[in-house]
Amino acid sequence: MRLAARFFSVLLAVFATLWLATAATAKPPLVLAAASLQESLNAAADAWAAKHHERPVLSFASSSALAKQIDAGAPADLFISADEPWMDDVQKNGFLAPGTRISFLGNTLVLVAPAASKGMVAIRAGFPLAQALGDGKLSMADPVSVPAGKYGKASLTALGVWPSVKDKVVRGDSVRAALAFVERGEAPYGIVYATDALSSKAVRIVGVFPSSSHPPITYPIARLAASTSQEAEGFRLFLISAQGRAIFRHYGFLPHRPQAL
Amino acid sequence: MLLSPDEWQIVRLSLRVSGVAVALTLPIAFGLAYLLARGKFPGKILIDALVHLPLVLPPVVTGWLLLIGFGLRGPIGSRLHDWFGLTLIFRWTGAALAAGIMALPLMVRAMRLSIEAVDRRLEGAARTLGASGWRVFWTITVPLALPGVLAGVVLGFARSIGEFGATITFVSNIPGETETLPIAIYAALQVPGSNAIVTRLALISVVLSLGALVISEMLSRRAGAGRGGHVL
Repeated sequence: MRLAARFFSVLLAVFATLWLATAATAKPPLVLAAASLQESLNAAADAWAAKHHERPVLSFASSSALAKQIDAGAPADLFISADEPWMDDVQKNGFLAPGTRISFLGNTLVLVAPAASKGMVAIRAGFPLAQALGDGKLSMADPVSVPAGKYGKASLTALGVWPSVKDKVVRGDSVRAALAFVERGEAPYGIVYATDALSSKAVRIVGVFPSSSHPPITYPIARLAASTSQEAEGFRLFLISAQGRAIFRHYGFLPHRPQAL
Repeated sequence: MLLSPDEWQIVRLSLRVSGVAVALTLPIAFGLAYLLARGKFPGKILIDALVHLPLVLPPVVTGWLLLIGFGLRGPIGSRLHDWFGLTLIFRWTGAALAAGIMALPLMVRAMRLSIEAVDRRLEGAARTLGASGWRVFWTITVPLALPGVLAGVVLGFARSIGEFGATITFVSNIPGETETLPIAIYAALQVPGSNAIVTRLALISVVLSLGALVISEMLSRRAGAGRGGHVL
């Protein structure tokens, strides 16, 4: 009995200390970002922290999952989506701070294979992807909801290849999940962004999808109406500044000259 | 009726994956339960811990271990493929393997309790009357432990129906092949305006899980009448 009481008082003291420790520091901005931004945004956050700012907290998932969380009232500060429709969705539901939405990055869609594989694939109308796959699977993000998957499906459809490969598609819940199966050699081919391919030593780019075959890949950023962090707007402006865009260019993104929407 | 053909496919696949998972796990789970209930050997505590590992390990870790072990490049997966032509990754059989492993600890727990509850004096009496060890096992031990075994089966089935983390990590999401109920619900959640589908699939999940829990609880009440044999 006495032991239990002592155990609980210790537990209470631990919780109280943890609570005080978290309450004492100012709240850094929480950034919800598309999975494809993992390395680049972390580098940008480091650069921001090096300027004596609180390092933002970054949460990566597919844009679709993040949009759903924002629509459910997630208390975050910034949102970076890998496509416009999900940002539209969040905007339509009134979760954006007006006038803060800007499309500031672009990307390229590529076909990847495990690093140990050989040969290139010429991506053009009717190219024999199904034959190249054989019994293997095509690893891509979910073509119904995840931006990378939607672009991939649009490309394959425009090239007339989708009907022959759609039954071989493994649908990852984010573009990084799709990349992982190719990295492990479990899928012979995958469709990811050029930036994902560059982030991994275990895959190589075997073909590039023509940008005319899919809607333009743009990354909009916006501050959320629910944002409470003082630093959020500063970090947003840093990301779209020349210095911020240079970091993303380093990771293979195609930085846009920012245009407000 | 209320479900579209696609939704039926999801439900049927879930039932098949869970059914196969539980059927194949049953003999293994019973063997382990018997060993843990009756056996006295060094390293028993280690076996016990290993059996319970999937219960406490993050499911995504279990899925990752399956991926590196049973993938086409994995040490076990590559041999299964070369020797028996058996592929688990990206197949419903892989989903069943993941579900079976996640169900194993719950099944072993339920069965172990009921085996421990068997009155060993009855077995002793049968022995003195000349029954062989094998006959005692089948005519005394198994029948007496049966409610607990069934409770374990139902509980394992319910766990299999709900399996998500290990499954999506190991076999991803392929409609008609690995898209079980929870994976379909997760995927549908990512699509705007899918509330109706999500609601229907979620409702099926609740009904299946609740039904399984009630049956399992009823069975284990009967099994552990004298010992309060709750498995939850």
